[in-house]
Amino acid sequence: MAQAATGRSHRIRHEPELDLLPVMNLFCVIIPFLLLSASFLEITIIEMSPTEGISTGAGTTSLAQSEEQQLQPKIILTNEELFLGTVFGTRSISRVFLEDRNGEMVNSYDYEALSEALGVFREELDAAFPSIPVHKITILTVDDVRYDNIVMTIDVCAYHDFNQPGLQVAAYNVLQRQIAAGAGGE
Amino acid sequence: MGAPTKRHLPLLLGHNKSKAVLRGKNKKVTLNLTSMIDMFTILVVFLLKSYSAEGQIVSLSDALTLPESWSDQKIELNLEIIVTNDAIIVDGEPIVFVDESILSEANPIPILVERLSDHLEYTRQMRGIIDESEMKVNIQGDVATRAILLQRVMSSCAQAGYATQNLTVIKVEGGDEQ
Repeated sequence: MAQAATGRSHRIRHEPELDLLPVMNLFCVIIPFLLLSASFLEITIIEMSPTEGISTGAGTTSLAQSEEQQLQPKIILTNEELFLGTVFGTRSISRVFLEDRNGEMVNSYDYEALSEALGVFREELDAAFPSIPVHKITILTVDDVRYDNIVMTIDVCAYHDFNQPGLQVAAYNVLQRQIAAGAGGE
Repeated sequence: MGAPTKRHLPLLLGHNKSKAVLRGKNKKVTLNLTSMIDMFTILVVFLLKSYSAEGQIVSLSDALTLPESWSDQKIELNLEIIVTNDAIIVDGEPIVFVDESILSEANPIPILVERLSDHLEYTRQMRGIIDESEMKVNIQGDVATRAILLQRVMSSCAQAGYATQNLTVIKVEGGDEQ
């Protein structure tokens, strides 16, 4: 102990200090490592269902079809319009409009209107056929509909619990026959 | 900053310093790291949250832009098929080059069916038995891919024996608040 000239002992008070340098070193190693391995894009999947051949009408029935197949709705995407075909009939939901996507003007549809229509259909379906779970939906398109439009349509369907989408592509005249046949049932 | 006043000037020049100031001359200067540690802790927690121990099980091609989706179904390790408007690539190998003849028909593509069947047969021979979970493919398509091309690829997969086709997408937030 330090003895002062006066003979009195002086205790030097030290404030306890944490040595933060090892922690800093650890952080300096761990942060670049985590930054390099961090993935800011999350990749997911959409599982597609196998689809049967195009039937003669959106809401037509046959003995070979299961109850779920008979009630299964169809979304028809053409280069002019978007239709929703259900067991209650086929109706137009929206017309195509041009949208700027990453600097490119591309065809788009009114997905909010589609969501609204599917919501109404889901309610009607649950009220009329509460014992039949309907999760399948068919997306019928003409051959040059963009992939991102198909994915957006699938998203809207999944939101209303139609989470088993199938894709079918057909010529415009085949789709027109579908629309005409379905509209007759309305 | 204004000019120093008369009162502050001697101190600034080092004259007439008090004894207390002179005694502190030999003091060890330490950095206060607490605030930096706080910041680093927040940063580490954020990065740990976005860290995936599984690693990336898909390699994204530079030649395409994947569509965005609300789907939150986790990706599995399956056979990868990349579909762009120029080519169809299976497991990193270009199989079909896309031209007007490919886009004008709606049937399965024979070369693609053959390649996929070979792959399935190879897997079957290597493992002895193949279950349904292995008969899946992941399809990476560019946003601008035409529906007819996508449908031809999907029907080729189905014909080759891959009953389940998954579309690879980039997850975006949404769907809940719609």
